[in-house]
Amino acid sequence: MKEGSKKMADSEILHVGIDLGTSRSAISASNGERFVVDSFVGWPVDMVAKKVLKRNVMIGHEAVSNRTMLDLHRPLERGLLKEGSDKDVEAVKELLRHLLRLVGVDGNGGKIPTSNVRAVVGVPAAALRTNKQYLRNTMKGIVDSLMIVSEPFAVAYGLDALLHTMIIDIGAGTSDFCVMKGRYPTEEDQRTLTTAGDSIDTNLHKLISERYPQANITIFMVREWKEKHSFVNKAPEKVMVTAPVNGVPTEFDITAEMKAACETLLGPTVETMLDLLSRVEPEFQERVRNNIILSGGGGLIRGLPEALQDALKQVGGGKVTYMQDPVFVGSDGGLALAIDAPDTDWEKLSA
Amino acid sequence: MRMGKIDRAKRRVLRQAVADNLETIRGLPPRGVRPNVRRSRLWMRRLSIVILPVMLAGSTFLLSKPVTEPMFVVQRAAHKPITTASVSQPQSFASYEKVDPAALPLNVHRVVIDAGHGGTDPGTALPTLAEKAITLDIATRLKKLLEQGGFEVITTRTDDHLIPLRERAHIANASASDIFVSIHVNSIVEHTSEHGVETYYLGPTRDAKLTKLAAEENRESGYSLADMRKLLDGIYMDARRDESLRLASAVQSQLYGGLRGADPGLQNWGVKRAPFLVLVATEMPAILAEVGCMSNDTEVAKLHQPEYRERIANALFDGIRAYATEKK
Repeated sequence: MKEGSKKMADSEILHVGIDLGTSRSAISASNGERFVVDSFVGWPVDMVAKKVLKRNVMIGHEAVSNRTMLDLHRPLERGLLKEGSDKDVEAVKELLRHLLRLVGVDGNGGKIPTSNVRAVVGVPAAALRTNKQYLRNTMKGIVDSLMIVSEPFAVAYGLDALLHTMIIDIGAGTSDFCVMKGRYPTEEDQRTLTTAGDSIDTNLHKLISERYPQANITIFMVREWKEKHSFVNKAPEKVMVTAPVNGVPTEFDITAEMKAACETLLGPTVETMLDLLSRVEPEFQERVRNNIILSGGGGLIRGLPEALQDALKQVGGGKVTYMQDPVFVGSDGGLALAIDAPDTDWEKLSA
Repeated sequence: MRMGKIDRAKRRVLRQAVADNLETIRGLPPRGVRPNVRRSRLWMRRLSIVILPVMLAGSTFLLSKPVTEPMFVVQRAAHKPITTASVSQPQSFASYEKVDPAALPLNVHRVVIDAGHGGTDPGTALPTLAEKAITLDIATRLKKLLEQGGFEVITTRTDDHLIPLRERAHIANASASDIFVSIHVNSIVEHTSEHGVETYYLGPTRDAKLTKLAAEENRESGYSLADMRKLLDGIYMDARRDESLRLASAVQSQLYGGLRGADPGLQNWGVKRAPFLVLVATEMPAILAEVGCMSNDTEVAKLHQPEYRERIANALFDGIRAYATEKK
């Protein structure tokens, strides 16, 4: 998916913000280009597949669509690079190169050399130093300079929401929480839960399989259904899906399963939100309660902002604002950081 | 270029973000967990500024007074800054507790099986059947299955006597086990026609029924209110809760799947959160499985059958094995 196109302001340096996600990765560049791709990379399984696909590697939705002919990798797990697998490291490199090519860096007719790229990459709030070092090593040679920041911080920076704000960024692999106190967030200001989009998919898959054991469903189908129909609390409509039974397309009602699976997110999210709020200095709690920003794909779950707002009533009420453009909010924040960082700092951050 | 236009707050956080990255490049641990050398040095400097004049004044004062006078002047002055500086240590270590479970891909080797109730606490008691007997029977069967499956098993009780919840948690923690599985049997007297299985992991609940259930199960806790507060403050919230949820999901799925064949009317009441004390006090991923419902006559008849109890033990085993396999 391509978003807008403007002339690059500075012909020498390209600043990019990258939201490297477990499910989808987004890139925003200072030349005005924005793209999002599914975080899947696949290599043809054999010579026949290579001949059919006419490609050495496939990335994103294209890779998912042709997965039967590919050695398919989803190289990020819970928002972090999977360690110990050379193939997954190679997959992440391919994914990053692909994202950069899309915004005009090197190869495929791109004119900007990698040595001119300064990148800010968002990672889960609870990523450890070792995770960041590993990512840094992986990105060597792909960009010139690199800054790694927590994803919710990138979101907050991009929205100018640096003071008395809470960001709840619900992605596929992790749900990240961050209270902004006018400083770079410390470990105490942030939380990461692994109850997120992927855990909903797993639960939904299990629940549907238990109720309809005869239905032949895959996690990819379940993910697609979730993205179309997810909700918490009151069902906006009956959720009917089609799946094969002994090869015959059959319609199933999965409304109850969808509700149950999506609501597994609610408890931990509310609990973590209230816990972080209780740790804010008492005089600022009300301001934070009224400045809660929901971002990430999880924000698309219908009824979720309202449910969080309902939960806030037990501590005096508050306001949850849902980002209308959740896909690029992280990468746009990263881009803002990349542009604002002075050259002297970038020189120290070579990848 | 844009630097001049951005406000002070942005400039400050940007500087901090860059500093954090430079520390990552240098391989330094995060600020919160690093001893603050500069601060310690500053305190040492301040300390010497305070101590030296006080020592000089003190020695002059002591020399001018009889030896019987108390010598607390120097001690007081020296103590305050040292105490302040040393406070930072435990706070620093506390931040190590927030660990992403992804960073701990550990295998499951040692399992604690906790048969609910016992001795003077029968749990739900019917004229012909007591919860404490069912839980012990299933726990014994499960132990055998797990040992055959290559797990090491610790049990909190092997006969009919009361072990306080505090002691159960102590047994689990002292054995450094990987997971804790507590076995209980439900009783819902308001709805005797219904029966199902459900699995709990630790967390607060707003459901009045669950609060009541937790209060009943927590009856023989052996914890004081002060202990409770400490326990709740010290919960290893993020990672342990996530792992407990995973374990609960695996066990619930197998429980329902494994028992539905023998009991088509069985309902799947799912995975839930509740503040059971035995789950609060244990230091490893912990769940409490309600493997049946003693308020339902059909279910009671089944629970009387050794084959059905064996089936429950098998389902629990399958759930634990599924979780353990997922962790490998």
